[in-house]
Amino acid sequence: MAVDAPPTRQGPVDAWLEERLQWRALMGTLLHVRVPVESKTLFFGGITLFLFGVQVVTGTLLALYYKPTPAAAYDSVLFITSDVTFGWLIRSVHHWAANLMIVFLVLHLLRVFFQAAYKYPRELTWVVGMALLGVTMLFGFTGYLLPWDQRAYWATVVGTEIAGSVPMIGDFLLTLLRGGADVTEATLSRFFGIHVLVLPLALGLIVAVHLVFVHQQGLANPTVPEPRPPAVPTGRTKPFFPHYILEEVIAWLFLLAMLVVMASLFPAGLEEEANPLQTPAHTKPEWYFLGVYELLKHVERIVGILAPMVLLVILVLLPFIDRNPEVRARKRPLAIVLGIVGIAVMVGLTIWGYYS
Amino acid sequence: MGQDTAIDPSRERVPRRRFLAVLAGFSVVSMLAMVATPILGFLIPPKTSGTTAGGKILVGKVADIPPGAGKVVPVGSKPTIIVNTEQGMKGYSAICTHLGCIVAWDTGSNTIVCPCHDGRFNPTTGAVVSGPPPTGLVAATVTVEGDEIYVVST
Repeated sequence: MAVDAPPTRQGPVDAWLEERLQWRALMGTLLHVRVPVESKTLFFGGITLFLFGVQVVTGTLLALYYKPTPAAAYDSVLFITSDVTFGWLIRSVHHWAANLMIVFLVLHLLRVFFQAAYKYPRELTWVVGMALLGVTMLFGFTGYLLPWDQRAYWATVVGTEIAGSVPMIGDFLLTLLRGGADVTEATLSRFFGIHVLVLPLALGLIVAVHLVFVHQQGLANPTVPEPRPPAVPTGRTKPFFPHYILEEVIAWLFLLAMLVVMASLFPAGLEEEANPLQTPAHTKPEWYFLGVYELLKHVERIVGILAPMVLLVILVLLPFIDRNPEVRARKRPLAIVLGIVGIAVMVGLTIWGYYS
Repeated sequence: MGQDTAIDPSRERVPRRRFLAVLAGFSVVSMLAMVATPILGFLIPPKTSGTTAGGKILVGKVADIPPGAGKVVPVGSKPTIIVNTEQGMKGYSAICTHLGCIVAWDTGSNTIVCPCHDGRFNPTTGAVVSGPPPTGLVAATVTVEGDEIYVVST
């Protein structure tokens, strides 16, 4: 990535840090780089990162009152929602930020796909990004059980049952996830531990790797293929800082306002407390698992489980399968048509699942 | 020291660098296995004897389940559905064979129905009538003694 000269203006804090940490060189490397003016990221990746930050803050606050046992979980969520000052807001923002995080992650993935930014030299950045998608889906899956209401409980029963149907390792996976044969207090403890400790650490680390890669490679230019070997961009560029960052922060502030509006107008709900003896009528999982859930209704169980897994593997390996160096959409009709068909099938199944 | 005591590197059967690399690799793999084994072992919960001791369990009165009706009752930690059919009182595991949801009695269609994917089962045999479940419901042994219904737990 091309590096700008660091600014010459300096104050006492800047001088103090410079003397001890060679601060300006560090900031110069991190911030004062240039990006192609043709790059249109639409800020989807940055917004996803911002939403993760929102989740860390609101999740930490919720953990102060939440009790991860079947006897107390439901009541503690009710207590947070009804009695704790701004508890309804913190919980609803956590709920909506979780949903929006998946929305923006998928939008980011689609943007990278349609702009062919996964191609040389960014293959590994794409693979690491797919790992982020997997961790984010696990965040949704594990967090969903924590309120211990009917919807949470039965979504987890079905979800873990799907994992249990994976050939060869199904039984092992089922026991590993549930902490036993059934969804019990052992499952709740595991999901809570994974949700608040394992996944945040994993996501933080993988995001760091993803950002280092992006920083090293710079933003892709969606109008011309990357030169081989990589070279400093020769076209028109603009400074990453403050120009790009300023626009990004404006997008973040807009999202924060949206989150508060959504949390206020559509607060996170809570169904009846989990009852292992009664599955509620027409129970459905969260929208991002609805497509697979609907697929399982119409095809053999093994097909319904293996098809999304195969699709995921193809998606991870996409940069190594699609070797066409062309980046302009109209010059890669096969990839674009396959992408649109894939999206149409997923959206169609999700809508079908919603209304069935 | 004379020259004849020096080791000729070309005569080594395994070059020293390669030997050290293999040794280092083996050490890393051993160390990872040493760390991973107790972690994996810890993650798999110990086998418990279960919550039911076996034998006959009283699950309700005949008056609770009139002819043409059905009800899910707990048998230990496992739910069982009891249906009062024309062939007498029938019982099945209430856990759907598709994805583990709890089935319920549907008076309108006279079938046992799963609310998750609308799988339907015959109340007399437990066999699949329609929907995605791969197999029928597992039968339970139900006995009626006087006005009391018992399920034989295994």
